Amino acid sequence: MSKRSAFSVVGIFESPQLLMNAIPGIKAKVTARLEAYTPYPIEGIDRLLGLRKSPIGGMVLVMGIIGAIAGLSFELWTSGVDYPLRTAGKPYFSWEAFIPVMFEVTVLFATFTAGLGMLLLLNRLPLFRHPMLRSKALPLVTRDKFALAVEAGAGELDPEAVAKMLQESGAESVEVIEMPAPAGPLSPVFFFNAFAALAVSCVLAGLLTYWATKLFPILPPMVHMLDQPRLDPQRADSFFTDGFGMRMPVPETVTHDSVPYTIRSQDYAGSLVNPMPRSESVLHRGRQAYTNYCAVCHGVLGNGSPSLTAAYGAKPANLVSQKFIDLPDGKIYHVIMAGKNAMPSYAADIVESDRWAAIHYVRVLQRAMNAKDEDIPK
Amino acid sequence: MNWDTGTKLKLAAAVGCAGVISTFLISGSERFWANWILWFLFLLTIGLGSLFIVALEHVVGARWSIPLRRIPERLSTFALLMGPAALVALLSLRFLYPWTKPESLNDPVIAGKASWLNVPFFSLRVILCAGLWILAYRILVSGSLEQDRKRDPKFNLRARRFAPLFMAVFAITITVVAFDWISSLEPKWYSDIFGVYLFAGTFLAGLAATTLALLYLKSRGRFREIGPDHMYNLGGFLFAFTVFWSYIGFAQYMLMWYANMPEEVFWYKERLQGAWGPLLLVLAVFHFLVPFFVLMPREAKGDPRFLFWTASVMLFSHWLDLYWMIFPVLRRGPLLGWPELSFGFLFVSGGLIWIRHVMNRGADMPVGDPLLREGLEFRL
Amino acid sequence: MNSDVAVLPESGLPEGLRQPPVLIGEIRPGGVDDQVLSHVFEKPPKAWFIAFACTSAALLIGLAMIGYTLAVGIGAWGNNMPVAWAFAIINFVFWVGIGHAGTLISAILLLFRARWRNAISRFSEAMTIFAVMCAGIFPLIHVGRPWLAFFLFPYPNQRGIWPNFRSPLIWDVVAVSTYFSVSLLFWYLGLMPDLASLRDRTRTKTRKLVYSVLALGWRGAASHWQHYERAYLIIAGLATGLVLSVHSVVSFDFAVSLLPGWHMTIFPPYFVTGAIFAGFAMVVMALVVVRSTMHLENLITEYHLEVMNKVILTCSCLMGYAYLLEGFTAWYSMNSYVHHTFMQYIAGTYRWAGWTTITCNILIPQLLWSRWFRRHYAGMIFVAVAVTIGMWFERFVIIVSSLHQDFLPSAWHIYRPTIVDYGILLGSFGLFFTLVLLFARVLPVIATTEMKMVLPGSQPHHQGRGHE
Repeated sequence: MSKRSAFSVVGIFESPQLLMNAIPGIKAKVTARLEAYTPYPIEGIDRLLGLRKSPIGGMVLVMGIIGAIAGLSFELWTSGVDYPLRTAGKPYFSWEAFIPVMFEVTVLFATFTAGLGMLLLLNRLPLFRHPMLRSKALPLVTRDKFALAVEAGAGELDPEAVAKMLQESGAESVEVIEMPAPAGPLSPVFFFNAFAALAVSCVLAGLLTYWATKLFPILPPMVHMLDQPRLDPQRADSFFTDGFGMRMPVPETVTHDSVPYTIRSQDYAGSLVNPMPRSESVLHRGRQAYTNYCAVCHGVLGNGSPSLTAAYGAKPANLVSQKFIDLPDGKIYHVIMAGKNAMPSYAADIVESDRWAAIHYVRVLQRAMNAKDEDIPK
Repeated sequence: MNWDTGTKLKLAAAVGCAGVISTFLISGSERFWANWILWFLFLLTIGLGSLFIVALEHVVGARWSIPLRRIPERLSTFALLMGPAALVALLSLRFLYPWTKPESLNDPVIAGKASWLNVPFFSLRVILCAGLWILAYRILVSGSLEQDRKRDPKFNLRARRFAPLFMAVFAITITVVAFDWISSLEPKWYSDIFGVYLFAGTFLAGLAATTLALLYLKSRGRFREIGPDHMYNLGGFLFAFTVFWSYIGFAQYMLMWYANMPEEVFWYKERLQGAWGPLLLVLAVFHFLVPFFVLMPREAKGDPRFLFWTASVMLFSHWLDLYWMIFPVLRRGPLLGWPELSFGFLFVSGGLIWIRHVMNRGADMPVGDPLLREGLEFRL
Repeated sequence: MNSDVAVLPESGLPEGLRQPPVLIGEIRPGGVDDQVLSHVFEKPPKAWFIAFACTSAALLIGLAMIGYTLAVGIGAWGNNMPVAWAFAIINFVFWVGIGHAGTLISAILLLFRARWRNAISRFSEAMTIFAVMCAGIFPLIHVGRPWLAFFLFPYPNQRGIWPNFRSPLIWDVVAVSTYFSVSLLFWYLGLMPDLASLRDRTRTKTRKLVYSVLALGWRGAASHWQHYERAYLIIAGLATGLVLSVHSVVSFDFAVSLLPGWHMTIFPPYFVTGAIFAGFAMVVMALVVVRSTMHLENLITEYHLEVMNKVILTCSCLMGYAYLLEGFTAWYSMNSYVHHTFMQYIAGTYRWAGWTTITCNILIPQLLWSRWFRRHYAGMIFVAVAVTIGMWFERFVIIVSSLHQDFLPSAWHIYRPTIVDYGILLGSFGLFFTLVLLFARVLPVIATTEMKMVLPGSQPHHQGRGHE
């Protein structure tokens, strides 16, 4: 083995005390980098080896604060800005409700900074090619021995001299670790490229997933909720034999508080009595109903000459003529309910009380249009 | 005249005493009694917190804290001193506590609670609690002081057996103190967690007072054997229980905020309007943010300077916490005038005079404890 | 607050003050490896296979029931109105709670420098992870359309809406997933040096490859240990925050509501205490089995069991305080609804559950005041089983009893679980114990590296004393 090909010289020590005792002496004699290998951390060894303080505390603090701000901002943005949503009457920027998630996100950021930062950044693990992993010393170390390695690094190492130094310092055995063979196909570069490729494919997979999730909800079984076995209005349905989804009411169905009108002919309607009193409010109501429904055809004055007659050529009855003055209330009511000639039934349009009120108003019109001298106030 | 600390303190106490008397005569009984309740509870919680520390050490069988134990033992005398103060505070009931007024019984909620909130039962509870604390003191603290002379390890066994029982007593009595003295200022309000909340503040107050006393005495050359490892543990506890107090305080607030029930939130509304809101923010900063970030680094936890200032801030924030809970009852906005200052002078200097007197009464460490040596040799 | 490993002879002290030894016998670091790692390489005893068969059977029943539920819908469960939340949430809270003990042991006790924790930390952490896995099943399956569970995550979507971050259910999603990831990371980081030991011991090629990959090339370099220790301590501190917060967030599920019996400010610390309580009971049960079947009595000693039982006792007393306060507040609040709900706990339809809870959580653990119960397997298993049952029923009482008679009497209804509910509960236990059994055979149950740290003579300058 040539002097150049040594990667490091490793001395095995029986106890941590012996290791600690050896370090200052070796450190003074060599310029190469020293590394200790122990089955568990040894107190005080960092100082002896001249290691700098770990920056992990600061990293975690910074990332923790970033996590807190990121978590809180995200919540505030989603719930207060992007889609402001009032839940339980709380204000949009309800910081009290956002604290639990903010706290958890902080812990998440901080923890993964600590864990992954320590592994990937500071310790540069995973690393499967380190020569120590192939040495005979490492199984001893992970079991119960303590090792001190003098690493060649960029410079050269005189293995025999260093081995002698280690043995004199108390090492029970020494091993020289050769330089590793140059990287084969499975080199770190290969892994890095593989990782990059994986990352890119993850991004693509993410985009694909995004598209799929846009598509996904419209594929079965997601759409099952849309396709419900129910009758929709204005749609055909095979549930009923006639194919109609909407059904007519059962024959003889009446509306709430309606009384069926069973009189078939005007002749029999004369016995109906007007139940509405002749009070001012009823007359006002009657005027309103008459104006809305009757005046169109029968005229504002009740004389059968409305604005429509000239246009449509219909001849509505003159309600203020003698014939109608003599006609009992019930018969007028019958025409409202059943219609007559060209006039359709207004039963569905005018409520019961308004029908009778309108009839009272017609009587008012009849008196007004046939006024006598006695009616004029002095 | 010799202007040493003792004289300065006595002068401050005298000034405070004069101010307190003038407050009583001039500023009205409500303000006087509010201050009395505030300071009485402040010193009581320091005393109870210290007694809790002592009992906790016995329950857990901790050895690292044995060299320090004499400090909380001495501080726990505040719990006894406040016995007479509590009896005086009973006079405040009819000024500050609405349920003492006969017209409050028109309200069905208060009338329903009248079997609990009435002056005789209240006074009985005060006396019972005081009695239990005196008993605990006799067993835990007096026994420890006697052990200095007798060197009898049987005290440790007796303390270990009694301390868990004291924990149960402590839990009940601190809850009673919280519900009775603070919560019943607004008798229609209730919160299950209130006892735990006061416990968190009490424990912190005891820890902070112990830390401050230790650091002060160390600066005078005593407690030389106490090293950075012990300080680190104290700092760790201060840090951890700051987080605990904040968590309890936040939980209570957030739950009431979320459910928004009128019979609960009115208490917070009173304490958030006007200048009280900013005061709560100040409380959050000094009781949580400052100690949390200052004590977070490992090195800071064991550093005497950081510990001193943080413990002082914590003790002040505990006082502020009680102030923020009690004074809104006066419905006047945060009051800081001569009455508050004079009470401060009286109680702070009186308290310090008492501590100085009491810490000079015997050995600095429980020299009779068989585990003392181990405690001194504690290293992280 | 505990100080050193008591390997010092305590003969100078009176009997009552002496601590039982944390380690028994002369133990060398190599011996720890031999004793603990050997189980990974040996064939398991017959009892393991029988146990595995039983737990797998339970797991399969659970999976079948879950499959049935997914096919048919939540109607297969006993949920109704008003008891719309029942077994699923009870089981979720139960399992998440059990996970907390592991984190307390590995993280909080690490911060307290309690060296006795090293013998039990690995196993407890593993139990945490498995418990959280069991818990995570329930929020997933108890929603009406589990295949849309991704709705819970905040990704930009065509629905145009984000999850409701004001809802404690979303807080749960974030908290439990954080808890799971942090616990997994913490456990894995702790395992790395042990995996390196396994890598260096194993002879089989496949095993060596697997362990090499998992160990990430760990070689015990001092420069690495420095960062590792710092990171581990920091994560322990962060995990401590999680112990408090995760179960508090779970308690917020109930406490933010208006339901009497649910809206109680004491719920956060009450739930956390209950979690530690139930978790320690489970840890005690599992450790008793591990200790005796794997002959680890010299590493997991009476000291460990004694301390854990004392923690269980403490938690039981704290739970008693919480129940007392619940009862007092039920009266003090002068709120007739709260009062009614509390009376339902002790005198209503489900009073048998309420009294089971009180008996199993408060009364039976008081037996642990007696040293016999703390030191003998029969005693502590009895108490631990009672606690597990009691804590499950406590959640049952809180959820079902409060829900079944709330504000509107016309909505009151009895809840009866169905066979599917029971099956899934059984399945969760099956999953948990299957994973525990697998863990015990595949990975070292004791953190060998951490054990080596606390053996006497493990650190320089302090001969005869263990240090971290």
